[in-house]
Amino acid sequence: MSTTTLARPVAPNVRLSSAGILRSEWIKLRSVRATVWSYAIVVIVSLALGGLMASTLYLPEAIPPEAQAPLAVQASTFGVSFGQLVVSVLGVLVISGEYSTGMIRSTLTAVPRRLPALWGKAVVLFLATFVVGLVSVFGAYFVSAPILAAKGVESSLGTDGVLLALLGGALYLAFIAVFSLAVGTMLRSSAGGIATALGVLLILPTVLQIIPATWARDLSPYLLSNAGSTLFSVPSPGGVLEPWQAMLVVMAWVAASLAVAAVLLKRRDA
Amino acid sequence: MIHAEHLTKKYGAKTAVDSIDFTVRPGLVTGFLGPNGAGKSTTMRMIVGLDVPTSGSVTVNGKRYAQHRSPLTEVGALLDAKAVHTGRSARNHLLAMAATHNIGRRRVDEVIAMTGLDSVASKRVGGFSLGMGQRLGIAAALLGDPATLILDEPVNGLDPEGVLWVRNLVRHLASEGRTIFLSSHLMSEMALTADHLIVLGRGKIVADAPIADILSGSTRPTVRFRSPEAARLANSLTASTVDITQDGSDLVQVVGLSAPEIGEIAARSGIVLHELTPLSASLEEAYMALTQDDVEYQTTAITQEVAR
Repeated sequence: MSTTTLARPVAPNVRLSSAGILRSEWIKLRSVRATVWSYAIVVIVSLALGGLMASTLYLPEAIPPEAQAPLAVQASTFGVSFGQLVVSVLGVLVISGEYSTGMIRSTLTAVPRRLPALWGKAVVLFLATFVVGLVSVFGAYFVSAPILAAKGVESSLGTDGVLLALLGGALYLAFIAVFSLAVGTMLRSSAGGIATALGVLLILPTVLQIIPATWARDLSPYLLSNAGSTLFSVPSPGGVLEPWQAMLVVMAWVAASLAVAAVLLKRRDA
Repeated sequence: MIHAEHLTKKYGAKTAVDSIDFTVRPGLVTGFLGPNGAGKSTTMRMIVGLDVPTSGSVTVNGKRYAQHRSPLTEVGALLDAKAVHTGRSARNHLLAMAATHNIGRRRVDEVIAMTGLDSVASKRVGGFSLGMGQRLGIAAALLGDPATLILDEPVNGLDPEGVLWVRNLVRHLASEGRTIFLSSHLMSEMALTADHLIVLGRGKIVADAPIADILSGSTRPTVRFRSPEAARLANSLTASTVDITQDGSDLVQVVGLSAPEIGEIAARSGIVLHELTPLSASLEEAYMALTQDDVEYQTTAITQEVAR
């Protein structure tokens, strides 16, 4: 038997690292068409809906000053309600696409401890979606604000709550993408993942509304999409949750879903 | 060096891999054979941690695969040619894999050139043929210039030129002292490529030996002779534990005696021999002999009469 041992020059910097995993996930995210299309749709729809709402708004009477900023924010974040559906689908596809094509086995061979790959995906998806969210929401603001100002609805980024609500819209989109990534990781299927994620976002609030019980009404603000709406609106006096509380509720949804996803990813055979 | 101890994988009540022990040594090409469902792929998947063993363990160079600081430079694996996102180009796939380990763009271009993918590297993988997918899988396995290479059916779907290329590649890598673990259902290819064989049947190891030993040891010698007195000679052989088949009047095939032994007997009986030919067993025959009881999906033998 040959007992040759292998002497080969391995570059000292060649090893698995967190920075490398983040770079890898960024290459993966930007190198499939679904990502480019999804983000383009989010931005375009947000700008279009903001402009459309501002220009078609019929204001027979003057808006009281305290309602002007909330209205401007509403026009700017109008697209978020639609955009969340798109980033949700994208979030699911980021992982379910790997399961359906077999790519997941390459991913987990390169990152055999598995969880760093999930964290890497989550961080990259969060940051990319946050940037796209900022462009969408602030873009919509800069499109709609001048139109509204011409109609006597004045606002500025310095007005109380405006900047925070716009940031909240971008953050919410980023959190929804990561939540959907977690759902996709749990279900490992595009169809199942998308149905479940959209079910939580769209159908759950409707179901709670239909149930004629106090607990259903009390629970409602804590749903993911309802807490999200609070996050990207100028706080109203009658609101159950403060924006920072809404933020915590959204983060709790994301953290819980990621925790379940992590346990399943670690435990299951790939 | 791959080392498995009591490695076991159960799926519910079904045991896919049943407490196997084996060592795959560096500097050799070790072939991994077995019928469909014998547990070859499951074993390979457990080596790189895609499947978790139900019990037992398998290590690569002394550590579990996941515990290595740089898994891709320890082990390069081609387990499933389709382990690639179909919407991504071959180059981007390799760049993404390489990025995890800080492997540079130069190495990516190198493996693309090595596997002959230059012309299609920027095309989306969804449009690749089986052979192209296979080459991309091999390129990914080579990215980290790994000390151990695990290839599950690497020549599947390759053209003859590609088959030859894989054979030369693994022989070369083994000669550099790397550990090569290779499964294939092409017995003739395995006979040309492997130094050592591990044969699996129903989740258990049926044979673990150098390929020469498997060829000579597991099959009994087979000799063909032709004689005008074939029947008389055949009768004088029956005393020993031999299998005799007489096709035609003067041609006899004997299993269990060597050519010199038959020659001696013929001489003692004064029988004229027109031909005396030792038939070497092919790997295929040796393999069939080893695994005939362990075939998971047994097909009914089609007799020649029916086939005709």
